Formats: sequence, C-alpha cells, structure tokens
Amino acid sequence: MQILFVEDDIALAEAVTESLQNKDFVVNHVAKGSLAISSIKVDLPDIVILDLGLPDMDGTEVLKIIRKHSAEIPILILTARTSIEDKVLGLDLGADDYLAKPFEVDELLARLRVFERRASTSKHADLTIDNVTIDVVSHQVTIDDAEIDLSRREFMVLKALMENAGRVQTRDKLESKLYSWGEEVASNTIEVHIHHLRKKLPQNFIQTLRGIGYIIKSP
Amino acid sequence: MKSIRTYLLFALLAIITVVTFFSLLHGYQASITKAEQLFDQRLKDLAEIIATSNQDIISRKQSSAHYSSKSFFQIWSKELLLLLRSDNAPSQFLSNTKNAAQFNDVNYKGYRWRTYTLYDQRLNRWVVTGERTDLRQNIAENIVTASIIPIVLAIPLAAIVIWWAIGLGLKPLKIFALQLSNKQVDDLSPIILQNTPEELTQLVTTTNALLARLNAAFLREQHFSADAAHELRTPISTLKVLLHNLQQNHKYGGELIPLVAAVERMAYVTEQILSLYHHSPEQAMLKHDTVDLTGIVQKVIADNYEFISSKGQQVSLTAEAFTVSNASAFALETMVQNLILNASKYTPDEGEIRITLSEISLNNCLIIEDSGPGIVDSELKRVFERFYRINGDQHDSGIMGCGLGLAIVKHIVELHHAQIKLEKSEFLGGLKVLVIFPKQGGE
Repeated sequence: MQILFVEDDIALAEAVTESLQNKDFVVNHVAKGSLAISSIKVDLPDIVILDLGLPDMDGTEVLKIIRKHSAEIPILILTARTSIEDKVLGLDLGADDYLAKPFEVDELLARLRVFERRASTSKHADLTIDNVTIDVVSHQVTIDDAEIDLSRREFMVLKALMENAGRVQTRDKLESKLYSWGEEVASNTIEVHIHHLRKKLPQNFIQTLRGIGYIIKSP
Repeated sequence: MKSIRTYLLFALLAIITVVTFFSLLHGYQASITKAEQLFDQRLKDLAEIIATSNQDIISRKQSSAHYSSKSFFQIWSKELLLLLRSDNAPSQFLSNTKNAAQFNDVNYKGYRWRTYTLYDQRLNRWVVTGERTDLRQNIAENIVTASIIPIVLAIPLAAIVIWWAIGLGLKPLKIFALQLSNKQVDDLSPIILQNTPEELTQLVTTTNALLARLNAAFLREQHFSADAAHELRTPISTLKVLLHNLQQNHKYGGELIPLVAAVERMAYVTEQILSLYHHSPEQAMLKHDTVDLTGIVQKVIADNYEFISSKGQQVSLTAEAFTVSNASAFALETMVQNLILNASKYTPDEGEIRITLSEISLNNCLIIEDSGPGIVDSELKRVFERFYRINGDQHDSGIMGCGLGLAIVKHIVELHHAQIKLEKSEFLGGLKVLVIFPKQGGE
C-alpha cells in the first residue's frame, strides 16, 4: 500500500511515517500542497492522508484538485480543525474520512485498514475475529472453517460490525449503511437482522447496548 | 445625578422661582408706596374740590351730609366750629391746626385714619379729608396681588414647558442610548445617528471607534483560538505518535507508562481549555438548528464505549424521540460527552450509568445517573467553577481531569437557556445530573 502523506509539520510527519512503515505501508511525505498535486500527477498513490493547514495553499483546494484527478482514490483528512462545519466541508468536497488531531495511532491504522480492504478487490479480503471469518469480496462467512448462509442484509450488518470491531454501531448508523435515502425502514428492522445473525453466530459474539446500538469486541 | 432631565428641570425652576420672588418682593414694595402716594393725592384733591365747591361759612342745622364714600370730610370755621361734615365723619377735629396743608395719622373709634388738612384762605376755614388706613391698605394689596398672581401661577406652566423642551433637546442622547441598549451581544457594527448635535459628536465618534477596535480584537481573538488549537494539537499529535513508536520497540517497558499518561493529560487539558473558550457565552455563536439529542447521546456513548467498557461499566439509554430547537449540535455533543465521561470516570469499575431522555412536566429532560460516590451538598455549588476539583490536590490522581468539564457544561447549558441540576440518584445511589431544556415553541 502506497500512501501519500501531505503534512507541513516535519516532526509529526517523520513520526507518523515511522509508525506506518512499521505496519508495512510505503509512505511518501510532502510538506506542500503544490508538491502533493504534482506528485499525484506523476504517480497515483493508493491512499492520500491530507492535512488541511498547509503553508502554500488551503488543504481543501488540494482536496478538490486531487478529486478532479481521480474519483476513486481514498482520501483521509488529518487536521487540527475540529468544528462540525470543517468536517462537513471536507466530506462534501470528497474526502472519505476525517480524523482530528490529536489522534491515536491505532485509530489512524484502523481507518487505513478500512481503505485497504475497500481497495483490495482482487487480493484476498478476509476479516477474522475470534473464529468468525468473512470474505468481503465473495460474501462468504465461515465459523471454524464451516460455511454459513446469510442474507445480503445480514451480511452487511455483520460486515459493518466486524469492520468497526471495538466501536459501537448505533442503530441509525447501521440503517444508513443498509438502506438508501427514502427507502422505507421499519423501526425494528435492525433488531430482526441482529436476531437472525445471533442464531447463526457464536454466543455473545454480537453484544447489545440497550437503547444505543451493537458492538463486536475487537480481538 | 439620576436624570439630566429632572436635574435641569429642578435647577431651572429653582432659579426662576428665586429670581421671580425677589423681583416680586421689590415690585410689591414699590407698588404699595406708589399706591399710598396715589391715595394721598386723592385726599388732597378731594379737599381742594370741597373747598372750592362748598361756600359755607356758618354752621348748618343739619350738619351732616349724606356721603357714601369710604373717605370722609369735615369743614371747620377758623375758630374750630363744625360747619359741615359727611355722616361717616367724626364730630371732632381730626387734625393739627398748627400746620395747614399736611397729612396726619390719627386714631379714632378704634381705627387708624389718614387725614389731610387744608386751610381755605379765601373763606378762612379748615377743610379736613380722611379715610381709614386699613381700608386703604386692603385696596392697595388687592391691586398688587392681582398683578402678582398670574406670575406665580405661570411657574407650574413653565415647568411643563421646560420639561418638554429639555426632553426635545435630549432626544438625540436618548436615541443614542436606545441604540446602544438594543445592540445584540455580538453586534459590533457602528452606531448611526441622524442630525448628531455638536455635544454628542465626540461621544458617537469615540464609541464607534471603540466598537471598531473591539470588533477587530474579537476577530483577532477568534483567529488566535484557531491558531492556538492548531499549534497545540500538532505537537501533541507528534508526541503521541512518537510514544506509540517507542512502545512498539520492546526495548522500553514500564518507564513509558507515566510518559504516556502525562501526554494524555496534556492533550486532555488542552482540548478542555479550547472547548471552554469555544463555548463561552461571549464566544459562541449559537446556531438556530433543531438538533436530535437522542442521536447525539447515542453517538457520544458509541464514541466513548471503549473507555466505558474498559472499566466494565454497564451503560444504558432509555429515550423518547427528543429534539432541541435553537441549538448547536457541536455544543450539545460536547456537553453530553463531558457529562457521560464524568459519570464514567467517577463511577467505580463494574458500576452502572443510566441515561434517560424524557419529558418531565412538559420540559424535555436529559438525565444522567451513576452508581458512583456522588457529590456532597457542600460541594454542589463549587463544582461549576473553573479549575475546581473536589478535595483539591487530594483528588484521586488516578482520574484524569482538570476541573473544567462542568464549567464547560454550564456554559453550554446557559447558551441553550436550559437549567442544570445535580441531585442524588434514587435508583443508583450516585450522582444524578438533570439538564432541563426550555419548553418548545417558547410558550
């Protein structure tokens, strides 16, 4: 995985580069927006991590230009600006995710892994927690190597929970992942899917937080 | 001085009254003297008319002539025999014969009389005219009073006119004050006055200059806040990443733990200070959005579940659909996060946190209860102060905090015109925090 890291603070850039290299990412670091743009034009990376406060131009401008150049490339905004307006603006302009400084390295790695899985359509795309494994591409689910049958929506719920293991998924969040805008959703739809999933999965694999949502504990 | 208008009114009225009083006093004395002279002249004229029109030189049988005037007359022979008198005149000689053509004051029948004595040289007799002094004074006073009364009555009238005129003169000042008082907290636009009077020009100019400087300072401050956030967050990120890298390197063991804790704490305090600043009433520009509080509470619990579950605590949410109007989603999220993290931090491992969103007597309420130790009554007031922590330095150092959380919560509560109450939880025995939002629609 090749990452283009756009960040003007050299100390932070070096530290993050080391962390990512430890996890076998290939990191190209640039400190200016203009360099990021010329770098994109020469060689398209797999992922872009973009700081919004750059010395030569605003990060949102860089974001727009990168998006114009490639519609698919995943872009993660990493910035000290934390207001909701900034987040919405970044996501509206085509960023895929938003991480506010100061951040946990594990959090950054988790987000990058989501990008990685999304990108690796041809390579193997397995996700394993305890004895449950899902294949994101073929939609296969196995428990201790025994395959089980899930409906498309049940699979999507399980995938959302496993991709975000250790983080609570609220009912609203799951609904928005499963259903498009305007689609009619019965109030207990997610409960029904979870109920069916529980019957097929090991006991206590999915945990309920009453009134809030569901979680699969990270391994 | 309470009011310029009242002050000016009373000052002007006092001056007018004093000046009028002294001029009236002087006018009264002058008028009375003048009236006396007039009356005396009349007595003298009367005596001369009688002397020329009456030819008596011997006494008549009927010596009194009917005469209804307030004044009287007597005619005496040279030897002081009464020749004729008016019927209201005494029958004794009311004068001093030694001096002809002169005024006398004499007492008769309990009254004081003013008399004029004339010696008629043609017929060798005395003519005396007179009138009662008290009656003369009454008439004189009536005349003078009649001329004074309108002046005295004019003073209240003048008061009304002065009051109105001062009001008119002070109107620009009043408009200026009204414009200032109608200004919104965040409105720093200049004040525009039409037809500014000379005296106010300097005041308006200076005020507008101050407003402009304040506005500039305010903008600088906001930029400073954003810059400070960026400047602090980036090095803290660097520290965190560097520590993470060091922890990956297995050369270091336990000696990194306090370092990690210190950086965590620094990051936390920085965020809390920025948050307090961001949500202070002077700083916050409240968005007039309708915010789904239930969604926010769910999101905050989900975001912080790792921390809560690391302590093995049970968290539950019972919610009715719940929105807050004229609210800021970002501010409410900060508030809920502070309250839920507080509950989690001060509740022991395996404890319970119960969150309820419901309507209590028509008000929307957010209730957060925990099974922790709670707060004793004597501390309830002080916990909202900045940097205040219960038991001060003896505060359980295992719990990260800087004493800003509840100060931030209070700012946000006030921003939304809500109320916050701290009580003892009946169900869980710990602290119960109630945030009561104003009724919807503002009835």
